[in-house]
Amino acid sequence: MLLRNLTRTTSFRLVLLYVLVFSASVLALASLTYFVATSALDQQIRARIQAESDGLRDEFMSGGLTRLMGAVEERRRGRLRDGLVYSIFDAGGHRLFGTLPASSLIEGWSEVRGPPDGDEPEGETERLAVLGLKLPGNDWVLVADDIGRVSVLGQVVLRAFGVVVLLSVTIAIIGGVVISLGFLRQVEAISNTAEAIIAGDLRRRIPLRSGGDELDRLAATLNRMLDRISDLMESLRQVSNDIAHDLRTPLGRLRQDLEEVRRLPRASGDYERAIDQAIAESDDILETFGALLRIAQIESGSRKSGFRTVDLSELVEQIAETYRPVAEDEGRTLVAAAASGVLIEGDRELLAQMIINLVENAIAHTRAGTTIELLLERVGKEGVLSVSDNGPGVPPEELQNIFKRFYRLEPSRGAPGNGLGLSLVDAIAGLHGLAIEACGRAPGLRVGLRFKLADMAAAAG
Amino acid sequence: MKLLLIEDDAQTAAYIVRGFEEHGHTVDHAKTGRDGLFLAGSENYDVLIVDRMLPGMDGLSIVKMLRSTEINTPVIFLTTMGGIEDRVIGLESGADDYLVKPFAFSELMARVHALARRPPLSRTQTVLRVGDLELDLLKRKVRRGADIIDLQAREFALLEFLMQRAGQVVTRTMLLEGVWNFHFDPKTNIVETHMSRLRSKVDKGRGPALIHTIRGSGYSIHAPTESH
Repeated sequence: MLLRNLTRTTSFRLVLLYVLVFSASVLALASLTYFVATSALDQQIRARIQAESDGLRDEFMSGGLTRLMGAVEERRRGRLRDGLVYSIFDAGGHRLFGTLPASSLIEGWSEVRGPPDGDEPEGETERLAVLGLKLPGNDWVLVADDIGRVSVLGQVVLRAFGVVVLLSVTIAIIGGVVISLGFLRQVEAISNTAEAIIAGDLRRRIPLRSGGDELDRLAATLNRMLDRISDLMESLRQVSNDIAHDLRTPLGRLRQDLEEVRRLPRASGDYERAIDQAIAESDDILETFGALLRIAQIESGSRKSGFRTVDLSELVEQIAETYRPVAEDEGRTLVAAAASGVLIEGDRELLAQMIINLVENAIAHTRAGTTIELLLERVGKEGVLSVSDNGPGVPPEELQNIFKRFYRLEPSRGAPGNGLGLSLVDAIAGLHGLAIEACGRAPGLRVGLRFKLADMAAAAG
Repeated sequence: MKLLLIEDDAQTAAYIVRGFEEHGHTVDHAKTGRDGLFLAGSENYDVLIVDRMLPGMDGLSIVKMLRSTEINTPVIFLTTMGGIEDRVIGLESGADDYLVKPFAFSELMARVHALARRPPLSRTQTVLRVGDLELDLLKRKVRRGADIIDLQAREFALLEFLMQRAGQVVTRTMLLEGVWNFHFDPKTNIVETHMSRLRSKVDKGRGPALIHTIRGSGYSIHAPTESH
């Protein structure tokens, strides 16, 4: 099983491929070396035979057959022949000297096989290259040399290369197995982790090795992805809990009220009131559902596709104009100031809802007589949108919590609202890349949204 | 009115049909897109009420097909999808209005009435009149009898929206969408606030009231003698 897995790994296959390519190139090199070496030796041997043959002809020309015989004899005795073989035949084909067979009486090059003389590979006969020269008067002189040395050299070359290939293939395969085993082990680790997660152990992570190779980097990325997923799951769990708690409560209350109306005998006017109340309660629940869906939709980021350039200044003016009388009716004062021509890439509807939620939040959580400020300013290269009030504010330790879903400060628990208004603000700000911050004032609360001002030239173009 | 409802959910359909019939209107009900398309093509209806999510042929395809065959009966979509993208797609396909489920029946009623009575677009009418109230769209001036009434921009838009639908019921959400271009529901009742300011300027101490609150539905503007 492991072996099968091993041979299936990419690294093992790569090693195999590498070995194949390497062997092929060694083979090419071997054959080139073989041909260069053998042909060089062959030429060298033949050149020597040619030179000797020319010398012997000169001897014959200057002193006839007698001189030739003397020269050959001298060479044999004086060990001058140096491996060369000589034979002389007369015009009638009778051998006068040497051992070469009469069959090789051919002018030019020929090849003769002779008995082994000990220097050739086992089981092979001696091979001689013979140069036949017909002298004037039809006598023959033959000069030959052992050409078997050429093939011996060739075999030595081939054997040397064979050893190299064998050695390198062995080393490569061992290396390949070692590398692939390491690879396989890490893949197994990833796979085991995945299996464990599938089985329900969501906290499992892939163990990292010290190497830091690409697999480790992949493992680290996968671990980060798992962290992100578990964060999302955690927030989903949180939301489910919130829904379970915050929607069950009003649903339970609705059911309780209906049951009570059903149980007690009443006048018909009471029924009408009870039904109106039930409708109002279910509207609240639907609204909470709607707000949750809206937050989820915004957080999924799908609305980014509908982004356009929005004139934030104009939007702030419009909202201020709409809410000034509302604040006035509630006994608050809304003061607004907007720097002109502040543009932002975004969803006009969502941006409107974001600002409105902040303003409504300020109206809902302050007492009569409060002043609420809605400001849009340019600060350097940034735009700052802020809503501040001089109401009771939020305790500093609670500031970080006000954007959480269903979070409501103790004093406002009884007041209408679902605790999702600022979560929606947070989600919309996140979608638009606005940096949101809440801070206390003395007294009151300020929620600010900072963003990079769009390049006006680019926006116009 | 004669209406066609294309809706697959039996309970929702029964609720809508009963509601309109109680008010003396005729409603044909088609359960599938195919039946609906056939009926819409063969009968004359004042308004089509179409569910966006239907088995087989969905609401979008129905409206596109109707419009491509020159059937221009007003269409209102009913949908559970409240995203702005969905609304834009719905209106682009040729629907005239869009209502998100769940809705109050009075809301659907008001919107269907508005669609059925929508006058042909006449650009020549630049002065709107209800009783002795006059709104000049070009000069952006409002007069009641001999008095000139000074309105803020938002109040003017509000009055214009009402007067263009004189005699009809206009709901809070219709006003939010039409006057403010808000397709969500702010928590504070901004419509009520602005309407009460408008009423105090238009009606207070100026003879019989023209702007009326229709309980549980919305508002309506009409001269004292007319009934809405």
